[in-house]
Amino acid sequence: MNSSGHNPSVPLQQMSVIKRRLTYMMVLVFITFPFIYLKVNPLEILTAYPSIVSFFGENFFPPDFSGFKNYVPLIIETLLFAVVGTYISAILAFILGLAMSENINPIALVRWLVRTFSSLVRNIPVLVWASLLVYIFGIGSMVGLLALILATLGFLTRSYAETIDDIADTKLEALKANGASPIQVIVNGLMPEFIPSWVNWTLFSFEINIRASAILGMVGAGGIGIMIQTNIRLFKYQEALALIITLVILILLTEFAVTKIRKAIL
Amino acid sequence: MKGPLLKITNLSKRYDGNKIALKNITLEIQPKEFVVIIGPSGAGKSTLIRCLNQLVKPSEGEIIFDGEDISKAKGKKLRQLRGKIGMIFQHYNLISRTNVLKNVLNGKLGSVPFWVSTFGLYSQEDRLQAYNLLKTVGLQDSLYQQAKDLSGGQMQRVGICRALMQEPSLILADEPIASLDPKSSEVVMDYLKKVTEERDLTCIVNLHQVEVAKKYATRIIGVREGEIVFDGTSEELSEDIIKNIYHLPEKKQEVILPVPGFVAEGEAVYE
Ligand SMILES: Nc1ncnc2c1ncn2[C@@H]1O[C@H](COP(=O)(O)OP(=O)(O)OP(=O)(O)O)[C@@H](O)[C@H]1O
Ligand SMILES: [Mg+2]
Repeated sequence: MNSSGHNPSVPLQQMSVIKRRLTYMMVLVFITFPFIYLKVNPLEILTAYPSIVSFFGENFFPPDFSGFKNYVPLIIETLLFAVVGTYISAILAFILGLAMSENINPIALVRWLVRTFSSLVRNIPVLVWASLLVYIFGIGSMVGLLALILATLGFLTRSYAETIDDIADTKLEALKANGASPIQVIVNGLMPEFIPSWVNWTLFSFEINIRASAILGMVGAGGIGIMIQTNIRLFKYQEALALIITLVILILLTEFAVTKIRKAIL
Repeated sequence: MKGPLLKITNLSKRYDGNKIALKNITLEIQPKEFVVIIGPSGAGKSTLIRCLNQLVKPSEGEIIFDGEDISKAKGKKLRQLRGKIGMIFQHYNLISRTNVLKNVLNGKLGSVPFWVSTFGLYSQEDRLQAYNLLKTVGLQDSLYQQAKDLSGGQMQRVGICRALMQEPSLILADEPIASLDPKSSEVVMDYLKKVTEERDLTCIVNLHQVEVAKKYATRIIGVREGEIVFDGTSEELSEDIIKNIYHLPEKKQEVILPVPGFVAEGEAVYE
């Protein structure tokens, strides 16, 4: 050991001065460059707020709920889109998740196909799906549902497959050692272990879907979104606000319900 | 039964083509033996035990179990042979969100058709048998508890019942007590020894603790770097042989790491 009595200084980190300065520069560029490129004055953003607020106050208040009766079918439609879209994708995604899991499906080609398909549909936003499908099938409810299912399917397939792989790594080996057939391993081992994550992921995508299904109408794919769009275009701002409030309440209620269900099941 | 229950000839295992885990293991195990395999970490104990029921595919060699070559068996035949070999795991590997009774009944998976297991249509005899097994390990009051709510020792006792539910002729246990405290370890090992003796079963157990091995084994096998370096009784396992198995070097100079003398102004100071 060092017996000379000198106390060597111990730096807290190993970053060199040059590297540190470079990091600061990068952060600075990251913060300022977008404003310069977009030719936006950050001060203008701040000064715009008062006029936004006053425009909102003058035109949107008070909300006009007189036409509420007419929205009810649309609200139900929005809700049902999310419900049906979620459960159909949950079932399909479970099958695809099994097909994508290394521990369950030994055929590499099929796994690759499923993975490619799921990342493809997952990375296209739901509104893009909806506009695309409206273009192909025309305006209607079926299009909204299809768009939701596609987007959810991609997301759930990957989430399920990862969870399935985690479970299969350890627990299922025991059933294999018992002499269980692949179907028995899935039904008696995988499914019970999978339920908590299945509930969690599915409820999570339900929350996403209820928001998505509310805006689907804006591209003509059904639901409450179309009425909001129409009212704003016709300058019926007070009615639009009534719809927006209804929508917010709908979303808050589903979040509340989802939290309750989660607590009850897990 | 006449002859050995298990006849292993020239068994070798290479992982990913290069890493050699087992080298030319040749071994015979007679009915009713309680064999304990000991050896340092990475010696190949788990690999050996897992080759026996084909959870790990051997690279070479032959494993004759109950007169049939399990290393060549596939599909239904393999499942049928696995059904005769019970296995107990270090991490219990119970289905955690399934109750204790159903976990034990899972031992029957290899011998019931899939609709029986899927819809829980097990016969009353099977259910009674599971109940009786749980009673022998003192868990008759926990039938409907989910496995995840049990203690480690209780989980391992369920694991033993699941293996026995198969009505196996051979039981494999890969470090069944490595995750348990000494008291639970003793309970689990006592039960394992008791039930295998009562049923005339053959048992192969991997263990880290030499004293535990000596206490329960009728035969001890020492494995080092994929080879058998000892095969004998507890009495024959001397201190020197233990040292040889674990390859303890004579007395290696300890590496002395610098330790800060004191801490001044938040910085360690070496003297
Ligand atoms: N799945 C695997 N892939 C690659 N190498 C492996 C695999 N499993 C084990 N090995 C290697 O094979 C050798 C034997 O491993 P094994 O698990 O059989 O040892 P062990 O005696 O059971 O050790 P421990 O006491 O730590 O459980 C080790 O060197 C290990 O790194
Ligand atoms: Mg091991």
